[in-house]
Amino acid sequence: MRRAKLRFGMLACAVGLLVFLILFQQTLLGTLLGYFTGALENQSADVVVYNEEARQNLAGSLVTIDQLEAVGAVDGVAAVGPLGQGTFTVVAGGEERDAAVWGYRLGGPGEPTTLVEGRLPETDGEAVASAIDAAAGFDIGDEVTIAGTEVAITVVGLASDIRFSVQPVLFVSYETWQDVAGAANPDAPVLLPSAALVQAAGGVAPAALAERITASVEGVEALDRATAVASLPGVEAVNQSFALILLLAFVVVTLVVGFFFLIITVQKLPSLGLLKALGYSSAQLAWSVGLQVLAVSAGGVLVGGLLLAGASLASSESFPISADPALVLTTGAAVLGLAVVSSIGSLRRVARIDATAAVGRQHLGGLE
Amino acid sequence: MPALEMTDVRKTYRSGDSEVVALDHASLTLGDDEILALVGPSGSGKTTLLSIAGGLLTPTEGSVVVGGEEISALDAKRLTRFRRERVGFVFQAVNLVPFLTARENLLVVAELGRRDGRAARRRADALLDELGLSDRAGSLPAQLSGGERQRVAIGRALMNEPALVLVDEPTSALDTKLGEQVMELITSEVKSRSTAAIIVTHDTRMTHYADRTIEITDGVLVA
Ligand SMILES: Nc1ncnc2c1ncn2[C@@H]1O[C@H](COP(=O)(O)OP(=O)(O)O)[C@@H](O)[C@H]1O
Ligand SMILES: [Mg+2]
Repeated sequence: MRRAKLRFGMLACAVGLLVFLILFQQTLLGTLLGYFTGALENQSADVVVYNEEARQNLAGSLVTIDQLEAVGAVDGVAAVGPLGQGTFTVVAGGEERDAAVWGYRLGGPGEPTTLVEGRLPETDGEAVASAIDAAAGFDIGDEVTIAGTEVAITVVGLASDIRFSVQPVLFVSYETWQDVAGAANPDAPVLLPSAALVQAAGGVAPAALAERITASVEGVEALDRATAVASLPGVEAVNQSFALILLLAFVVVTLVVGFFFLIITVQKLPSLGLLKALGYSSAQLAWSVGLQVLAVSAGGVLVGGLLLAGASLASSESFPISADPALVLTTGAAVLGLAVVSSIGSLRRVARIDATAAVGRQHLGGLE
Repeated sequence: MPALEMTDVRKTYRSGDSEVVALDHASLTLGDDEILALVGPSGSGKTTLLSIAGGLLTPTEGSVVVGGEEISALDAKRLTRFRRERVGFVFQAVNLVPFLTARENLLVVAELGRRDGRAARRRADALLDELGLSDRAGSLPAQLSGGERQRVAIGRALMNEPALVLVDEPTSALDTKLGEQVMELITSEVKSRSTAAIIVTHDTRMTHYADRTIEITDGVLVA
């Protein structure tokens, strides 16, 4: 119990590594998904209205001006505005690359909510860019041009977590987006918004409002922001595969802790039997095993949390990992709970220990 | 008041379909500071008798009164408590917790009785000293010799100031000289505390240390 510090320490470290793995995966998943969906997640509209044919995909969606107006007339809508969205080849920092341009009505729904530096665009030709891409030619004061055109956009602000499909993002005025889209694709007929962005009136639940819009406006499908983010193509698949890996990691933690303590318990059966013969109750013995399980898993959670903190310190700017204390706490609680569940086998074994085992019968039949 | 009074105790074990009678109509009275040697061949029921006297086993029939308390009817919880407070055991097989030092092996019983920690430590040190083990207090059982281990076990049995000390074959793993030393130690420790004791042995040379000797064959006591 007290003596085998090394073994318990090693187990705590092993559990710690697994906890770290779990935490790291979850953090990774958050970062990764943020790269895919950040722009939609961190903009101000409560409800996103797609064309009903678009299958919740911005790239395939167009809404008409009539639909936009009809959405604005729905009860509970405080404000409505267009969203023009598309991927364009841009020249930033002297290099060509793809970027997502998001055009919204300045001051209306759809402005980025995670501004970390600078300001929001106030006129056409200004943009808020994703902060993570600042060094790649998207810093405040940088000018980004649309490849093959004269259209230039000046970055005036940076916001965190607003990448989209792992591309740099430029939040611009709707008119600027029209300029960009028109210049990049001169043959296109009329330019229509990709979606309508809606601000819900105070006290109106976005999900309910989205349902109402879908029901009352012809040819559209409205989703509240969270649902819209979760419905983006690929998000669910990524979530599912990560969930599977997580599940596996949790199962491994449970098995490792469970087997370790079962082995330890079986090894200690003679001693535990002796203690029982000397007057320890099953409850006392089980409690001591339970305490050890808790101590080891708490140690593991601590190690895992520290590793994650270390990783977040060491992580690079282009792929930031942030240690979220709430994540560490919930994961830690889950690991602790599972560890206790996993030790049920050991605890039951302890409860069944026979005190007379200590009495020993090895002298029977003259055997020594 | 006698330390132990067994009346018509019978103990049978079920092994498969057959029944083994390990103890049959055993009656025994032990004075409150008497040392009794229980002698008999292997399989004669010595360990069974000790286990019943110490509340480790419940008899199939008969009554067992220890220090005025009838224990044959106690439930498991009360028996656990009885063992903890009233009896000191030196077992035949496993005696020490291998991952605790000699001193901790003594304290492990005290922790149970929730004695004041300081007093318990003082008592443990005094016992180790009496047993000539003060410089081995921090050693693990694996680092001790057979005789030393047996002495630690004796200290452990005396730790909670029991009214009844039960010792099962303390010398069987030791050579004659060491065995005699250990026997002498047990009897002098027990005598100096005016405590009752049963010492089981199959070695008749050891019986002169006891006040009285009883023989057991096939579960039957012969005075
Ligand atoms: N747990 C048990 N199950 C079945 N038979 C047992 C058990 N313990 C002891 N016995 C039998 O009871 C008899 C007495 O055993 P025991 O009291 O250990 O003898 P001793 O200590 O004198 O060697 C032996 O025949 C032994 O085989
Ligand atoms: Mg025996």
